[in-house]
Parts: sequence; structure tokens; C-alpha cells
Amino acid sequence: MSSSKTKNDWNDESTSEISVTLLPLSTEQTPSVLEMVQGPGAPRNYELHRPEYIVGRSVECDLPINSTDLSRRHVTLRRLPSGQFNLVDLQSRNGVFVNGVKVHSAVLHDGDSVQLGSVLFIFHEGRASS
Amino acid sequence: MTFIVQFWGTRGSIPTPGHLTKRYGGNTSCVELRCDDTLFICDGGTGLRELGADLLTRGHKTITGHFFYSHTHWDHIQGFPFFTPAYIPQNTFHVYGTAEGDRRTYELLSGQMRSDYFPVDFGELRSNIVASHLDGGTRTIDGVAVTVFEQHHPGRSWAYSFVKDGHKVVYATDNEIDLTLPDPARVVADPIAPRAIPDAFRRFCHGADLLISDAQYFDDEYTKKVGWGHPRATTVVDLALQAEVKQVALFHHDPMHGDVDVDRKIALCKERAARTNPQLQVFGAREGLSLRIG
Ligand SMILES: [Zn+2]
Ligand SMILES: [Zn+2]
Repeated sequence: MSSSKTKNDWNDESTSEISVTLLPLSTEQTPSVLEMVQGPGAPRNYELHRPEYIVGRSVECDLPINSTDLSRRHVTLRRLPSGQFNLVDLQSRNGVFVNGVKVHSAVLHDGDSVQLGSVLFIFHEGRASS
Repeated sequence: MTFIVQFWGTRGSIPTPGHLTKRYGGNTSCVELRCDDTLFICDGGTGLRELGADLLTRGHKTITGHFFYSHTHWDHIQGFPFFTPAYIPQNTFHVYGTAEGDRRTYELLSGQMRSDYFPVDFGELRSNIVASHLDGGTRTIDGVAVTVFEQHHPGRSWAYSFVKDGHKVVYATDNEIDLTLPDPARVVADPIAPRAIPDAFRRFCHGADLLISDAQYFDDEYTKKVGWGHPRATTVVDLALQAEVKQVALFHHDPMHGDVDVDRKIALCKERAARTNPQLQVFGAREGLSLRIG
């Protein structure tokens, strides 16, 4: 075991002055995604960029799903000020199930399953820019 | 007739913000129950602040609400001073005591706003805050029959049932059901065996479309927390089974439990329920979740 003390940067009390250049802030921003794992056209991903979506069987919906299990307007997904998405059942015939529980509404979290009839989605929470 | 039940705070004991509790939420007890246009609020824990903010976005000219407090431990009253609708003159809030002359809740709500605790005095709340009460344990409000049941909790606590047109929701938090079991030693000797729930409470909950119940502890935790006022989550499953409720929301999550712990607690409870009645729906109450009953 050596008794000699080696000089290292951690112990050096002096700091050299530099001109600080601000590094770019992280621009990493990923949208929330509704991943259809079961249903017509599955697997497919719906990226959620807009503040509100209506999901249903009608072609007029923002996310039209061609399945007779769905009501014409089945559920809305609305972005909250927190950036999270709130899902609300539009009094659909077959209901909305989040993680197997029949809900009227739910603020979605990463990994939640959302079932509309026989159509199954997994919600992936995005990351907002700071 | 429809009940909409919305969870604004599901945490027990103390708020627990942070990423570990993100899914079930960190706000303490507050559940909104709407029956058509009538608003009931069960407990005013920190979740009440957000309910208040939400109520103001709903476009009502005036808001009338009926507060039912399980009891006045901190985690059930702390949101009230931050409940913005209480500051608006045209609104009315009834705070119910469990019997005539019982003004404890009303007085504690005002007491927590004394200047030692809070900068705004209770008297400065501009809404009409009325000390109301149940008569003989029950009261009908806009056709909804509200009934009270005294639970087992240090300092006392009460459960409430809300019934209309054959639909029933029970709010029962801060209730150490395990201390009311006829044979508590048997639970330790044989944790799998069904635990007989005392008749009176079983009947009180009977047939509920939704039972919201304190389910704070895992079995092994409970043995170290006997007398703290909360049950084993697994005992709540037995209550739900014996009371033949349709679904049970496990509520008042322990502040030491992160989302993964709550998930595990729910999984254990589902397993227990499925052994007797696979139809019983068991889930974890979480912030931002609402259910439609009826
Ligand atoms: Zn509590
Ligand atoms: Zn308590």
C-alpha cells in the first residue's frame, strides 16, 4: 500500500475559467400513443398530437375504428393541462374498460389497457417538452 | 338515475406526491358522488382541492354540495381550506354530522382554519356553509337515502351508504375491520380461510353496486399495525364477498406503498376473490378514475 498521495482533479481546488456556452435544452418530446394490439388493422399505433380525439365506428371520428362492437362515437380522449389524456365514455353501448374495469372516465397512465368491445389498446404516455 | 363516482384522492394518512405513486395518486381521501344533479362529497382530503377546481369549470352558476366526512383526521379534512367553491358567495355546502346536535365535523373544519394553522379565517368563506345532520342515522337528500354506520377506528369513524332506485354505493374508509372479527387468531393461523364479517356491517354493505373500502395493509404488515385503524386488504375481499357487492374499490392506500406495491395488493385481493366468486370485480381506487353506476 503506497503512502504517496497522488494529485487528482477532485482534490484540485483551482478551477480554470472558461467562457460558458449554453448547451441546447433537450428537445426530446414524444407524443402519447394509443397502440392497437387487437382489432381491425392491428397492430398499429395512433400518435396523439391533438388536444382531443373522438374514437368510434363512424368515419367522422378522429380515430375511426371499423368494428361493429364500437358505438358510432364511443369515447373521447382529451388532453388535460397536465399533458395527460383523460378518456371519457360517450355512453357507448359496450362500455369502456381500463385495465379490465368498466369506467366512465379515466386519466390514462403509461401501460394502461383500454378495451372497447373486442378492440384492445395499450396506452403509452408521451413525454412533453419542458 | 345514474351515480357517477369519481376518485380525487385515494391515499391514506398523508399525501405522497412523486413518481412512485403516480398512477394511484398521492392525494388523500376525497370521493365525488354525483346523482343526476346532486353533488355528494365524501371526505375533504387533499384531493378536494382538485375537485374544487374542476367544479368551477363545469359551468354551474351556483354549486350546492353535501359533505359527508368519515372522520376528521388530517388526511380527511386537509383539502377543505383549499376548496375554492367555498369562497364563492352563491354556493352552498352542507356539512353533515352523524346525529342531531353533532357539530364536531363542522367545528373541526372551522378550527383547522384558525390563524395558527391557516391564513384565511373560516368566517371569510363567502359561501353558505351549513352544519347539517342525519336523523336517526339516515337522511334522504334529493331522493338519495344516505345512511351512516359507525366503524372501528381510533377516535371513531363512519361509513356512509347512498341508495337510490335500487342502486347503492358505500363509502367506508378508515375502518379496522380485522379488530371486529369474531376470531382474529384464526386469521393468523389460517390466512386462507374466509373471515366471518360481523353481521351488522355485512348488512350495511349488502348488495352494493360499489363498495369503496379502506384496504391499507398487506397481511404481514397488518400484524405490526394492529390498532392503527386500518384493515388487511384481504379482509375487505371477504367483506365484499359476504356482503355480495358487485365491485369493490380498494382505497386509502398506504403512504409507504408505491404503484407496484398497490398493484401487488390488488393482485392478491383478486386472487382471493376469484377463489370464491370470480364475478366480484376488485380494483384499486386511483385518482382521475370515475365509474357510472345505474
Ligand atoms: Zn385516513
Ligand atoms: Zn383516520
